[in-house]
Amino acid sequence: MITQIVFWFFAVVLIGSAVMVVSARNPVHSVLFLILAFFNAAGLFLIAGAEFLAMILVIAYVGAVAVLFLFVVMMLDVNFSQLREGLQRYFPVGAAVGLVLFVELALSASAWRIAPNVRDLPHARVPGASSNTEALGELIYTHYVFLFQACGLVLLVAMIGAIVLTLRDRPSAKRQDVAVQHARVPADTLQMMTLGLGESTTGNGGFRRPIGKSAEKPVSRPALVIENSPDREG
Amino acid sequence: MQHFFLDTTLGLIILTVLEALAMLVPLLVGVAYLTYAERKVLAAIQLRKGPNTVGPFGLLQAFADAIKMITKETIIPSGANRALFLLAPVLTFGLAMMAWAVIPTNNHWAVADINVGILYLFAISSLGVYGILIAGWASNSKYAFMGGLRSAAQMVSYEVSIGLVMVSVLLAVGSLNLNDIVLAQRHVWFALPMFPMFVVFFISALAETNRAPFDLPEGESELVAGFFVEYSSLSFGLFFLGEYANMFLMSGMTTILFLGGWLPPVGIAPFTWIPGPIWFIAKILFVLFVFIWVRGTFPRYRYDQLMRLGWKVFLPFSLLWMVLTAGFLMATGLLPHSGS
Amino acid sequence: MHVVLADYFPVLVFVVIAFGIAGAMLGGSLLAGQQKPYAEKLSAYECGFDAFDDARRRFDVRFYLVSILFIIFDLEVAFLFPWAVALGRIGLFGFLSMLAFLGVLTVGFIYEWRKGALDWE
Repeated sequence: MITQIVFWFFAVVLIGSAVMVVSARNPVHSVLFLILAFFNAAGLFLIAGAEFLAMILVIAYVGAVAVLFLFVVMMLDVNFSQLREGLQRYFPVGAAVGLVLFVELALSASAWRIAPNVRDLPHARVPGASSNTEALGELIYTHYVFLFQACGLVLLVAMIGAIVLTLRDRPSAKRQDVAVQHARVPADTLQMMTLGLGESTTGNGGFRRPIGKSAEKPVSRPALVIENSPDREG
Repeated sequence: MQHFFLDTTLGLIILTVLEALAMLVPLLVGVAYLTYAERKVLAAIQLRKGPNTVGPFGLLQAFADAIKMITKETIIPSGANRALFLLAPVLTFGLAMMAWAVIPTNNHWAVADINVGILYLFAISSLGVYGILIAGWASNSKYAFMGGLRSAAQMVSYEVSIGLVMVSVLLAVGSLNLNDIVLAQRHVWFALPMFPMFVVFFISALAETNRAPFDLPEGESELVAGFFVEYSSLSFGLFFLGEYANMFLMSGMTTILFLGGWLPPVGIAPFTWIPGPIWFIAKILFVLFVFIWVRGTFPRYRYDQLMRLGWKVFLPFSLLWMVLTAGFLMATGLLPHSGS
Repeated sequence: MHVVLADYFPVLVFVVIAFGIAGAMLGGSLLAGQQKPYAEKLSAYECGFDAFDDARRRFDVRFYLVSILFIIFDLEVAFLFPWAVALGRIGLFGFLSMLAFLGVLTVGFIYEWRKGALDWE
């Protein structure tokens, strides 16, 4: 009894929030409704006894994918009223595509057969596994090893694709290179001078960086002129 | 527990509600006093007195602060999105509290003893980003926006190493149930054999809760207060309490994963006399003290250093350590279930 | 099936109470505090100036990159959880299978390191 009430609750909220995802005017609200939909789907998984999938749905989709969506819609600054102006023009094409999709869905739905033993499936256990997490663990990495490796490759492609598409090198950026910083020694940057009494640094070419290390020209004007300082004159 | 108690649905609901309150009320008081304890400890570190006026030793300070915050005006900026603006602090605080549903304070003493407890905690800690992102966006203010972005990217970066640390603990346990994780530490706490992972987890917990030295989302000197600049009254208070509730949660997770939960340090007479929950609380308080101690000691990180630590140090290191742990357990035949 | 629901029912109750408390605190504060809003008070904080422009605008693409990389590594961790639990049963083959998976992702990780995607300036 309670199971059914909970099921209908999750199912109705899931469908309702899915409708809101498409119809909400503010895209941020859309994403938040999408998150609500994910949560209800996780609840349905729980009712079916799939604890692990329910948690992974929340971790992967709500905790990671929807964060990216939210980043995109919050910060992308898309002008949505401008997008809506195009609606009139593209409506016929969109409607045609939607109709084809709908017919296809209807066809596949009408050919749908429910497996006769579907009621027993939630109770079908992998022998020896005490929870469905263990059951999954026993199958994914051995029985479905090629699919599992294919997942790894897909993730690799996603990683490289993201970098190729988004990474722009900005030459103006200041980066910290820890190794270079640690390798710096006083001899590279510091020059000790012994000045005689009353002798100014101008005689030595003024204060400047040691010439040997860097290719830059010596500064012609002394960076700091001691003779002209007011307390000397007074 | 519920099987030999009230058998009716209503009885079950009432019992669960009571259990939940028995967990949440001490937690709320604890959170309130953590703010007081933090000020006292920081004061001691800096040779000051700290709050000492309201009540004996300033003990009523936490309540005075609460009353002040409740009676202040809630300001909702004109450009803000009202519903989301108010939702964000509720979300932050609510998430920090709801995680406690699965935390066991003694053998099988959890409000919900679920099979995938550790995943539940991982899921909740990955949801923490939302309160901050929504607050940053809904305020419609530049500082809030920048703070929210930075904070979200920071939490997300350290999430991965937290996950990897959890996996290396699970390798030695062979179950996702928090109760089993604690019981697996009967002989030795995981903090000893996995000491490097313990350190990684603790530092990631600091970053995940936006605590010093990783508190730059709220960096006063550049972002005024980060994502909650525009918040006032208790809507600010909920963010503030949420941070402390998250500290409690992270300490609880550290205790369960590495410090043997409710188990005494050694299973011999004088230690076993003290009941489990006392040990559990004592360990949490110790970890919390270290949180505050770190805040009193270390200067703030720079943002690029923070990201480098997360992605270039912790991620590869914890991945490598996880593989080494797995390999070691395989080679020595210490893996759980390996007999069957 | 019903066992799972019975396990999770307390979680549901707990969630309701937790958010109830948080919501009640906020609502109580809205009722208890005197609300006297006026335009200057309600403007966004910008060091005393009027806000120059809308706060919601484009930002560094690096934040997208971080969140995409996070998704990938989060999925990797999601694959690790059942593996960690079942490793004792699936033995050496399961171990090597995961090692190959991690090896592929490590290639990607080294690539992004070399490309400077992990640097932050």
